[in-house]
Amino acid sequence: MDSRKIIPIATLVMLLFFPLIQFFPSVFGDQNYVIHLMLYAFYYMVMTSSWNIIGGYGGFISVGHNAFLCIGAYIAGYYSIMWGVSPFYLILLAGIGAGIFGFFVGLITLRVKGPSFIISSIALIMILRIIFDRWELVGGASGITLPYNSLSVEFSKFPHYYGFLALAIITIYMNWYVRHSKFGLALRAISHDEIRSAVAGINVKYIKVTAFVLSTFFIGCAGAIWADYLTYVRPNIFLIILIAANVVLMVILGGMGTVTGPIVGTIIFIAFNELILSYLGATELNLLFTGLLLVITLLYFPNGIVGTLKNKGKLPRFLDWG
Amino acid sequence: MFIIQTIILGLCLGFVYALMATGLTLIFGVMRIVNLAHPIFILVGAFAAYYLFVIFGMDPIFAIPLCAATTAILGAITYKLVFEKDAGSQTYSEMTVLLTFGTAMVLDGTLSYLFKNTQRITSPPYATDAIFIGDIFLPTAQLYSGLISIALIVGLGLFLKFSKLGIAIRATSLSRVNAELVGIDVKFVCIFSFVLGCALAGAAGSLVSFVFSFFPAKHWEWIAILMSLVVLGGMGSILGVVISAAILSVMASLVGAFIAPAWSTMVFFVALFVMLLVKPHGMFGKYLE
Repeated sequence: MDSRKIIPIATLVMLLFFPLIQFFPSVFGDQNYVIHLMLYAFYYMVMTSSWNIIGGYGGFISVGHNAFLCIGAYIAGYYSIMWGVSPFYLILLAGIGAGIFGFFVGLITLRVKGPSFIISSIALIMILRIIFDRWELVGGASGITLPYNSLSVEFSKFPHYYGFLALAIITIYMNWYVRHSKFGLALRAISHDEIRSAVAGINVKYIKVTAFVLSTFFIGCAGAIWADYLTYVRPNIFLIILIAANVVLMVILGGMGTVTGPIVGTIIFIAFNELILSYLGATELNLLFTGLLLVITLLYFPNGIVGTLKNKGKLPRFLDWG
Repeated sequence: MFIIQTIILGLCLGFVYALMATGLTLIFGVMRIVNLAHPIFILVGAFAAYYLFVIFGMDPIFAIPLCAATTAILGAITYKLVFEKDAGSQTYSEMTVLLTFGTAMVLDGTLSYLFKNTQRITSPPYATDAIFIGDIFLPTAQLYSGLISIALIVGLGLFLKFSKLGIAIRATSLSRVNAELVGIDVKFVCIFSFVLGCALAGAAGSLVSFVFSFFPAKHWEWIAILMSLVVLGGMGSILGVVISAAILSVMASLVGAFIAPAWSTMVFFVALFVMLLVKPHGMFGKYLE
């Protein structure tokens, strides 16, 4: 076996067993915060990888993808209260709900490319914000509050950790699959030129909308677990533009249209963010540095880390998944 | 009577929105840059007007040139630092949009760090005054800001129509290559129109400072509203922006008066989606690709 397979598999095995150190607090101490950071990274990996399907391969830059996160979270939160079950049983339902919503949104907004599409994605967040702030059925601006899970504190993050890990693996696999399938080839052709793709016999509308639904489905699934993790679903938590901005930044930092780019970007961004938080605290400066990082990345290496290294032929083999 | 009053108020606000959006549409027309940082320039203008008012007691209307100068300088610096590299290409690119998005985040973070996210509004004496014509009640703040906005837009229109530089700007926005062929200094036209757009944003900010209460994070809402106007008017068309701003703002005022104030901004966003559904390339604009 070459390093291309060994390193990812070894990392995966390590990640699978990592939370078990919580069973030995005398040796390792309480590592709840590290577990939180890791599941936070998996959560963003789900979003960046699924964003990459439509944004990286398809070329439709959406800065409003957290709208679907919010839909998934609300579906899971609302029905888990109504039926009295854990949101974990509702992951699929949340994903399908977000996917159906994404289907209708995609039918409308994917008709245009470029600036109009970006604006429509911002407008989508604004519309949902106005609606959810005033929708009494789902609690209006104060949202839905979910019960805590019954596990003791040191193990309480386990379900979310493994949930997000599994979801991240599925999403990354899906990302890889799209990259190497005929479907992905058609998608990348569309991102270059829609009219020529149509002439070449690609069903442009079908491919675009399917990719959009695929990407919203996984984000909806992530929303369900994230709702259970936060124990509340509120418009002012889920419907802020900063989440979508972070997702876009992570993908661009790592490299758009690559399989490993979103993963690398997410890890580096979260590490960078932690550094800022620990030195400067949670102030508005966070937004400033996020923006600065985005501008610098776009100006000096627009292909992202993975893309730039790949162009120079210096990409480590275990990161080269196409 | 109530309806007429609502329509007049909506029209005044519409002209303010139109002034806010003209800079955006001008920059797009010439440089093919969708400047998502435009509303934050408006906010910078509003903050300049606020502090000029609080510290020196300067009337926001007379502060317009100063606010415009502030944002013009800031715009020139931003252009030099960020956009100079991409301004050379005449096609629209996704990356420049994200660049402006990052610029907006940087400025937003700076403003919120310096001034904190509290609601502010300048209160010159006419901000709380009103004129009565028969039964019609007209707040002077809205009336003045609407009139000044339309005056500035008309001024801009005359400048673009008749001055030599204005003709150069229009020629560049029609076709950059051909403009270069007839000897127009396209690079200068680009930087001039970017700075002019930013100055318009500052002027609008000074008017906005006594019409709306503002805080640094407000610009995300404005960008959606302004871009819906620009898309609706056809990207790059100033007349289109004014018409769509007037129509939508009146509709928003009517919704606010007869349904609920909270739903009024919804008009802009729904209009954007309806537009994408029916006529994806705008009412008055040329095709864009």
